[in-house]
Amino acid sequence: MRTLSYLLRESWVNMRTNRTTTMVAILTTAFTLACVGVFLLLYVNLRTAAGWLQDDVKIMVYLDDRLAPDSVAEVEQRLRGDRAVASLLFISKEQALGEFKAQFPSESHLLEGLGQNPLPASFVVALSPSFRSPDAIKRWAERVRQDSGISKVDYNQDWIDALATVIRSIELVAIGIGVILSAAAVTIIANTIRLTLFARRDEIAILRLIGATTSFIRIPYLLEGAVLGALGSALSLAMLKFMYELFRQQMRTMGRFAGLDNLIAFFPPSVCLALIAVGMGLGVAGSFVSMRRFGEAKA
Amino acid sequence: MIQLIHVSKQYDQRLALSDVTFEIGKGEFVLLMGPSGAGKSTLLRMLIGAERPDEGQIFVHQKNVTTIRPSEVPYLRRKVGTVFQDFRLLPKKSVFDNVALPLLVQGVSSADIRRKVTEALRAVGVEHKRDQLPAGLSTGEQQRVCIARAIVNGPVVLLADEPTGNLDPALTSEIIELFKLINARGTTVVVATHDPLVMMQVNRRVLTLSQGRLLPEHRGLG
Ligand SMILES: Nc1ncnc2c1ncn2[C@@H]1O[C@H](COP(=O)(O)OP(=O)(O)OP(=O)(O)O)[C@@H](O)[C@H]1O
Ligand SMILES: [Mg+2]
Repeated sequence: MRTLSYLLRESWVNMRTNRTTTMVAILTTAFTLACVGVFLLLYVNLRTAAGWLQDDVKIMVYLDDRLAPDSVAEVEQRLRGDRAVASLLFISKEQALGEFKAQFPSESHLLEGLGQNPLPASFVVALSPSFRSPDAIKRWAERVRQDSGISKVDYNQDWIDALATVIRSIELVAIGIGVILSAAAVTIIANTIRLTLFARRDEIAILRLIGATTSFIRIPYLLEGAVLGALGSALSLAMLKFMYELFRQQMRTMGRFAGLDNLIAFFPPSVCLALIAVGMGLGVAGSFVSMRRFGEAKA
Repeated sequence: MIQLIHVSKQYDQRLALSDVTFEIGKGEFVLLMGPSGAGKSTLLRMLIGAERPDEGQIFVHQKNVTTIRPSEVPYLRRKVGTVFQDFRLLPKKSVFDNVALPLLVQGVSSADIRRKVTEALRAVGVEHKRDQLPAGLSTGEQQRVCIARAIVNGPVVLLADEPTGNLDPALTSEIIELFKLINARGTTVVVATHDPLVMMQVNRRVLTLSQGRLLPEHRGLG
């Protein structure tokens, strides 16, 4: 108990003694992590948005015009039995024509001139959630296209592919920036801890002489790293939250984007906690790095 | 208790210890003498695993410290108390906290720490300074606090490297008397010094090093 309170007090005293360095370390760590956070936030929001858009994707399965009604029922059976299909809506030739006329009243005479209805019957298919990724949509469409009685499978392929590409590149950039800036945060904290280690080298030597184990000697510095990392991370979240609110405010006042401000979201609490834990981990890693370099393990 | 067998140590071409062999039994009081640079500190550092010999074997308390793993070194040091010329007290901690440190790092309970530290401070006669900072003490008192810290654990061996180097003759004899008392209670004591005054006070074994070699043994004149 006394030992624990000693260790806690030591790290507290370390941080208080180097108040300025500690503050600077927390601030720089916070700025560094906030840069990562911006990308993470962008990524999370784009993914959510992409998810909504993909949820709305409807796939048009056009039927062969020469298909007998029995065969249409057969195709319907087959589609309903498909694990990937969430819902199905049949649009007959007449309904298709009606819709066309309703949408393009001025052009309807074009079709009348043909004498017979040229529009094919179709099924509008919505896929189950686990089949809504761009790749899964593509695979499904290609498979169904080859089935008998089906003339054409259509969906907004270019658009979905483009979105997938954008998300993938943001993912890559976020990972790249995350790795580089995390390494920067580790270095910042490592340097701060090294200053403490240097200031206390005599004390460390004394602790070694009187039989303190390496882990005992390390604990206050690991704690210091953990606190610096966690505080830096928490502060970066606060800064992000502030920027996020500012951004939303801005959107609301600009009439054009009104309403859109409700669609962008901040990290949920669980993710915030996870990010603070990650910051703590980076801080502990920083401590380890500086203790390795300082060579305090030597007798 | 302490055994050296053909121990040699070299620091970039310079021989610090050369083929040193001796044995110190349990409960002995031994002086390690020799001029500056003779290798006394090097020898003591080897006994606590802070330095390794190039050749030979060293045993302390039945433990071969030549092959000791780094993770075992702290446990060796809990059995071997050390006192230095430059005291090595923590300047921002009270006398009590300084002496408590060896117990603290072992996770000893608060009650035991209080009891043992009080005992150790009483044994060296600085009980009344327990709440002061080291800087507020005289050099003699500071050395006593160091000795208290070295014995608070109840070590089997007490090693002192030039413990009277910063003290005047009167204080020197006080500290030597203190070592004799500690030795009388069963602790093996090894004092390294180049101060002839110390030898005048102790009628015990004297091991003399000269340029890393052990000279024929004799007894102190005390
Ligand atoms: N870390 C080291 N690196 C290089 N040489 C060293 C080192 N430690 C000791 N020496 C050398 O080894 C020799 C013995 O030194 P040591 O400190 O053991 O002598 P000593 O008898 O304790 O002397 P003193 O009475 O001055 O304390 C000296 O020549 C010294 O210069
Ligand atoms: Mg010396």
